Amino acid sequence: MPVSLLGGGRVWLLIGAVIAALLLALPTADHGSDAGDGNPDAVGHSADGYYFDLMVGHRKIELPRLFLTRGANDQLRFDAFGSTHGAVESGQYTLADAAGQPLAEAELLSIAAEHKQVYYPVIPRDGGAVVIDFSISRQILFVFISALVLLIIAFRLASRYRMGIGARQAPKGAWQNMLEVLILFIRDEVARPAIGPTYKKYVPYLTTAFFFILLGNLLGLVPWGVTATSNIMVTATLAFFTFMITQFSGSKDYWRHIFWPPNVPIGIKFILIPIEVIGIFTKPVALAFRLFGNMISGHIAIVSLLGLIFIFSAKIGPVVGGLFVLFSVPLTIFIYLLKILVSFIQAYIFTMLSSVFIGMALEEHHHDDHTHHAPDGTVHAAH
Amino acid sequence: MGNLGLAYIAAGIGLLGAALAAGLGIGRIGASAVEGIARQPEAVNDIRGTAILLSAFIEGVAILAEIFALVFFFIAQP
Repeated sequence: MPVSLLGGGRVWLLIGAVIAALLLALPTADHGSDAGDGNPDAVGHSADGYYFDLMVGHRKIELPRLFLTRGANDQLRFDAFGSTHGAVESGQYTLADAAGQPLAEAELLSIAAEHKQVYYPVIPRDGGAVVIDFSISRQILFVFISALVLLIIAFRLASRYRMGIGARQAPKGAWQNMLEVLILFIRDEVARPAIGPTYKKYVPYLTTAFFFILLGNLLGLVPWGVTATSNIMVTATLAFFTFMITQFSGSKDYWRHIFWPPNVPIGIKFILIPIEVIGIFTKPVALAFRLFGNMISGHIAIVSLLGLIFIFSAKIGPVVGGLFVLFSVPLTIFIYLLKILVSFIQAYIFTMLSSVFIGMALEEHHHDDHTHHAPDGTVHAAH
Repeated sequence: MGNLGLAYIAAGIGLLGAALAAGLGIGRIGASAVEGIARQPEAVNDIRGTAILLSAFIEGVAILAEIFALVFFFIAQP
């Protein structure tokens, strides 16, 4: 039995704790379309929301709603509310159905009684439209939390090095040693080979991106945690930074290769130029999608696997569902451990691809061509 | 079968193709990387980095397929 190798008692305690936590968590899956078939709505659970699930009964904390609204009189205004409930109570906003039509007053009352207002879209009551929704969703909340944790860790670490611990003498303590290994890995194994001699300028960005993504990924794996990086806007923002840094550090050769590729016949140039121009944008898009897809797929897999227990309980019977625990829970623990690995690998891949893209843009090509394919005018026009 | 069922089937077929192709691709990278390391053990660090980079590219395509499958799921809500 592999269990006895791991010290029997503790493993069963762990499995018991996991099951207990999940039994508490899953009954809260009342995302609008609860059909009573035990389906826990895996996608809904992994998605964003304007509330923070306490996973105790149906209790949840509503998060602030901030709207930039264009009113009926065509004037922009900014409204801030402590919660979705507050926004509706204020009389300025009301809930809408999936088609965007405002709900009837009687429906609003029953929704408020069941505390389900967070599942509905919010629209202004006076007939205007929300231009930008600045609401602090739970994933944005965890963006702030991981940024705060990262700031605290980074400043404490930096002050240690300023005092000389780690700079003039050996680093002290587990934390400093652990982080120094990671930082040196980013600098020496990722940035330097990929970027080249000017790598030092980019190391601060790369380490920040690495640790922010790593923290965002790992915070999603602790109880009550939310994965900030499973929000496409968060990953798109990170990829946008890489995109901007790549474009602004692009050398003359980088732009020449995009807008007038050398050493190819003139006919091929007109095929290559659109491909190269699209290539500028596909790189950050792939970067954003990769991180987002990796982080959300693990969550969907975990909820789907555990949801099988509840689906079988509802469709066949509690005995079959109960026996399914023996299948679902070990598989879930396996995926959970895989996600810890993926958290590190994805942070590493994002950092490495960022530095590879920056390195590709910085590269000065040494062509041994004897003819000038690119007139200077084109190069300057490309800038 | 309604549109919802068709969308789920489409998402499933899309994921099948993506998972199959990505598995084959990453398998080939892994096989070549191991062969390369066996032939030249001193180049293990370079080979490892390149292999991870290349698998990231393949994985990116697979993840794109996954996102399109999710999009099918979202737009097909009844």
